[in-house]
Amino acid sequence: HIAEDTSDLLQHVKFQSSNFENILTWDSGPESAPDTVYSVQYKTYGETEWQAKEGCQRITRKSCNLTMETGNLTDLYYARVTAIDAGGRSATKMTDRFSSLQHTIIKPPDVTCIPKARSIQMIVHPTYTPIHTGNGHRLTLEDIFQDLFYHLKLHINHTYQMHLGGKQREFEFFGLTPDTEFLGTIVSSVPTWSKESAPYVCRAKTLPDQTWT
Amino acid sequence: DGVAALPAPQNLSVQSTNMKHVLTWSPVVVPEEIIHYSVEYQGEYESLYMSHIWIPSSWCSPTQGPECDITDDITATVPYSLRVRATLDSLTSAWSTLKHPFNRNSTVLTPPGMEITKDGFHLIIKLEDLGPQFEFFVAYWKREPGAKEHVKMVRRGGIPVHLETMEPGAAHCVKVRTFVKAIRRHSAFSQTECVKVQGETLPL
Amino acid sequence: QEFQFGPCQVEGVVLQELWEAFQAMKDIAQAQDNITSVQLLRKEVLQNVSEAESCYLIHALLEFYLNTVFKNYHDKAVEFRILKSFSTLANNFIVIMSKLQPSQEKEMFSIRESARRRFLLFRRAFKQLDREAAVTKAFGEVDILLTWMENFYQL
Repeated sequence: HIAEDTSDLLQHVKFQSSNFENILTWDSGPESAPDTVYSVQYKTYGETEWQAKEGCQRITRKSCNLTMETGNLTDLYYARVTAIDAGGRSATKMTDRFSSLQHTIIKPPDVTCIPKARSIQMIVHPTYTPIHTGNGHRLTLEDIFQDLFYHLKLHINHTYQMHLGGKQREFEFFGLTPDTEFLGTIVSSVPTWSKESAPYVCRAKTLPDQTWT
Repeated sequence: DGVAALPAPQNLSVQSTNMKHVLTWSPVVVPEEIIHYSVEYQGEYESLYMSHIWIPSSWCSPTQGPECDITDDITATVPYSLRVRATLDSLTSAWSTLKHPFNRNSTVLTPPGMEITKDGFHLIIKLEDLGPQFEFFVAYWKREPGAKEHVKMVRRGGIPVHLETMEPGAAHCVKVRTFVKAIRRHSAFSQTECVKVQGETLPL
Repeated sequence: QEFQFGPCQVEGVVLQELWEAFQAMKDIAQAQDNITSVQLLRKEVLQNVSEAESCYLIHALLEFYLNTVFKNYHDKAVEFRILKSFSTLANNFIVIMSKLQPSQEKEMFSIRESARRRFLLFRRAFKQLDREAAVTKAFGEVDILLTWMENFYQL
């Protein structure tokens, strides 16, 4: 009996992770029919049993949120998808070994830019992740990455930049010209994991100088 | 069988400046013929654990010029053995091996180039871009008795960066040096440059 | 930027360069390991290691990796065309090893033994597998080792 090749039912089974939100995604194969259904299982690397993911059994969509199931930072995980078409043909494919610490992408920080007459203040807000400690405390990116710091740039009339950086949350660029527009970019950076977010961008115009009126 | 009919390259040596490492040798000359060379390397691991293993260099296996940029091959602070041989069609020379293994911690670190400008009261510095292995320590102070020296770490060169907002009428001075994390060494400081808000850059 | 494994300090190794080297090999190395139900560097080996123990444990693990894992994985590195990254990792492990000086003093005996028990857990699991499968698995678990080493890395 020659096993039928069903690998065309399913492809690109992988995790996509940002700020520790871990989503399993896949694509249907070139030959698969729209009524193909998918079932997801996951397991911790080093364990024997596969677990069925509730809510992702015999679904037609091509993604499944496994954030809670893959939430232990020191564990590594596998997930696998089984596709079954109307004719009863099936195919199963597994992800690469997944580590959220290694794979997660950091989103741009959330920042409030406050223009004044001769300065612009920037306040970075904490970024909460879905990861909880044992006692239910929700972890921020700063909690997880000890060396996370913010790198801020203020672009001055396209010729030079002011740079500020550090682990604190409040920064202020001084010595600016009143009533002038500036472009600020703020990134979160984690050197030891070579992670850097895309920039948060804010445009701010310094206030007119009231001192001489 | 033609293996050693071609003379082996001689006078191998490595020139290394600011973590850019170039292996050079004397060219093998055969009139009206183009000689190619192959470069291979061995780190301390290979020489200790598998001495028969040599790794082809990233950019020079083969190459025509009597030199090879081995910067991308030297990726640990350990002694590296390097060897070269010449080839001409089916003829190959014997390998020539660098007399003393090369370690990147011997690289020459030069004071970085810097450009000081001002925009109104803003003192602006642009540093030479030396690549991701370099950090810059910029020291700056107001030229007056007892003035405090400030230090700012700049991660990358190549971009004009605001250093400080100057006070009118006072000269502000700057000098800079590099630091390389992988070998934990500093360069010497650059020349000091001073700027006065109304005046031009002052010679020392 | 340096490692501080308890009393053992290691300079001149940039952890990001090790990660870059391993990331270039990770998918192909781990894809060869289809025993998903066994983890050699498991929690009992690496979790809750005291500072004092850490120097002994990293010394034993790196020595094993250099003498056994890398040595037997070399031909695969050639086969999978990852020799350059493999060499970067191995040579940087040599740098770390050369700078570790775990104390041999008597009063450190119990700490040394605790680290040794952890290492033996790892080696026993390694020996329970077929030799080639064990080498492949151990090499694929370098990211677990690097993740643990992060705890001792100071910017």
